[in-house]
Amino acid sequence: MAADTGVEDGAGNYEVTGIPPLIMSTHLLVPLHVKYIQGLGESKDDLAYHLTAHLRLNAIYWGLTALSIVNHQDALDRDEMIEFVMSCWDEEAGAFGAHPNHDAHILATLSAIQILVMQDALDRLDVPKVVKFILSLQQPSGVFAGDSFGEIDTRFSYCAVSALSLLGRLHELDIEKTTNYIIQCRNFDGGFGSCVGAESHAGQVWVCVAALAIMDRLDVVDVPTLAWWLAERQLPSGGLNGRPEKLPDVCYSHWALSSLAILKKLSWIDADRTISFILSAQDSEGGGIADRAGDMVDVFHTVFGIAGLSLLGYPDLLDLDPVYCMPAATIEKMGLRKDWQALERRTTSES
Amino acid sequence: MHGVKRQTQQAIVDRKQREKSKIEGLLKLTDAVLDRKKGKDWSAEAFDATTQLLTVNPEFYTIWNYRRNILLNGLFRESTPEDINELLSGELALTMKFLQSHPKVYWIWNHRQWCLQNVPQGPGSDLDGWRKKYWAFELQAVEKMLNADARNFHAWNYRRYVLANMSVPRPESSELTYTMKKIESNFSNFSAWHQRSKVYTSLWHQGKLDPIKSKEKEFELVRNAMYTDPDDQSIWMYHRWLVGLGHDKELLEREIGVIQELLEEQPDSKWCMESLVHYKRLILTNYPSDRDKDLVADCVRLLDQLKDIDSARRHRYEEIHRAVVNISTHP
Ligand SMILES: [Zn+2]
Repeated sequence: MAADTGVEDGAGNYEVTGIPPLIMSTHLLVPLHVKYIQGLGESKDDLAYHLTAHLRLNAIYWGLTALSIVNHQDALDRDEMIEFVMSCWDEEAGAFGAHPNHDAHILATLSAIQILVMQDALDRLDVPKVVKFILSLQQPSGVFAGDSFGEIDTRFSYCAVSALSLLGRLHELDIEKTTNYIIQCRNFDGGFGSCVGAESHAGQVWVCVAALAIMDRLDVVDVPTLAWWLAERQLPSGGLNGRPEKLPDVCYSHWALSSLAILKKLSWIDADRTISFILSAQDSEGGGIADRAGDMVDVFHTVFGIAGLSLLGYPDLLDLDPVYCMPAATIEKMGLRKDWQALERRTTSES
Repeated sequence: MHGVKRQTQQAIVDRKQREKSKIEGLLKLTDAVLDRKKGKDWSAEAFDATTQLLTVNPEFYTIWNYRRNILLNGLFRESTPEDINELLSGELALTMKFLQSHPKVYWIWNHRQWCLQNVPQGPGSDLDGWRKKYWAFELQAVEKMLNADARNFHAWNYRRYVLANMSVPRPESSELTYTMKKIESNFSNFSAWHQRSKVYTSLWHQGKLDPIKSKEKEFELVRNAMYTDPDDQSIWMYHRWLVGLGHDKELLEREIGVIQELLEEQPDSKWCMESLVHYKRLILTNYPSDRDKDLVADCVRLLDQLKDIDSARRHRYEEIHRAVVNISTHP
């Protein structure tokens, strides 16, 4: 079914613009997405692949999580993946870079830990060393830096909290200090920003709310105000934006959905419309999901699209843990599950 | 990737063909720079190689780190403060150029911040001279960025950083003038409303402004905005902040009156109804009286309408509905 694209010239001739016609899918194209993710490692003839080397470890985590949620965790070779993760270890810093020979950073380090957890390979990790790296990044204010150069962001606080918790070392963290900084980032709309004074943003709201959930400090969240602000992110298209008066986007949708799930207010938006919005952003030829319908796909929006669908109860998907953004079963097995609530899984016949 | 249009299979094949030589060049350059890094090469040649690589890929954070290490361990050593100042001045020009084409890359903003923190004392006995000059320029630079995109949160964050660190601080109240300018050109600039909430909070805390007086001015501003565009959520969220917990009954009733009047003009306004429910609930909670029944009935009527016109958020209105009825049955 070809929907109106606005880019065709009327005769179905779209080569003029180089933009393909928009095919709207009404269901999740699982085999295509699996193939798309499997193909990512082989796209070395694509300039974009090389220009995103600084995100490689993150990309592997996104791909593996997406595959796990569609129940195809084995679609990528486990041993090869673990070896690649270990090749990103930065011995001098005692943490992971995003790629072999890249510097250690807390973003890549969390991705590495998440992959090792999902592949049940934490025994490969020098836990005391990486814990030392993470704890060394906490600033006197309580926020975390991303690396030794000191850029601060509540994203990095989340990375630290999540990583320490996955390593079973949360007790080594000064929870009060960490929480106090996040409290200072709270705004009049109930949301949180990247640092003190910064505007609320769905992505930053998620990192702060999820970090608070892990530290059992959700009591500092003004739930009615924040859940209201989050629910108002939904636009008539069904997609959610990251801030008022911005465009809807699959990734922001996911962060808002995850935050709502943690606050147990996921029913405050129209799930059917969000599901259609995410499905419309699929590339029904090459697989993968984009930020919006008709745009170029990437693994980042692919995982967040699938993760969002899982939270919304889309049929035949495995549960996603919105606090850790990892398969719920993995988190449950580790005894780390927090008190969140996703929508009930639908059966195939309703879809 | 954001906002990049999807290509046809043929266009992708053509693009890959064109990219072949670029990929080769990029990989060669990357290997060369990383080799130098491994060998702790702090030379000027290494520095130039990082410029070349970052021009192709300004998101390559490892190379920004290496560049800073070259400065610290190489080029700054045995340099006069004048030389160091010259180098940093070059860094600021380079990052400004990068930001114009990549206004949302964290690492570029980050490097700029690092440069400013490393400006040496001088020139000569004027210890703060260079610093003053740079910081004054930063404010103009960031205003330029916000003119290009008034919602760029990197730029707003950077603006707050500059304001907090300028060697000659500007009076905080001048930020009220700036945000007003931004709001006047677009009421929907939530970033500017946000900034206003922060500036006011700070000025009230320091006792530099009277909260009651400044809120009166803000209510007037918001009222104009509401009448201009009643569908703009930024205004209503800001209004809710101004009303706060509703500890001023007179004010609460006055604002309810204003919104009620607007609703009569705009009978389908979701935001009027939503706000009326919220403020009437504040009255119910804070000031129980024998009028409660009427207020509850008002809320229920508005909520029923909201469930209809804003069905996406129907469950939220249902939850509020239950809470409102609960107040009336359990005083
Ligand atoms: Zn996105």
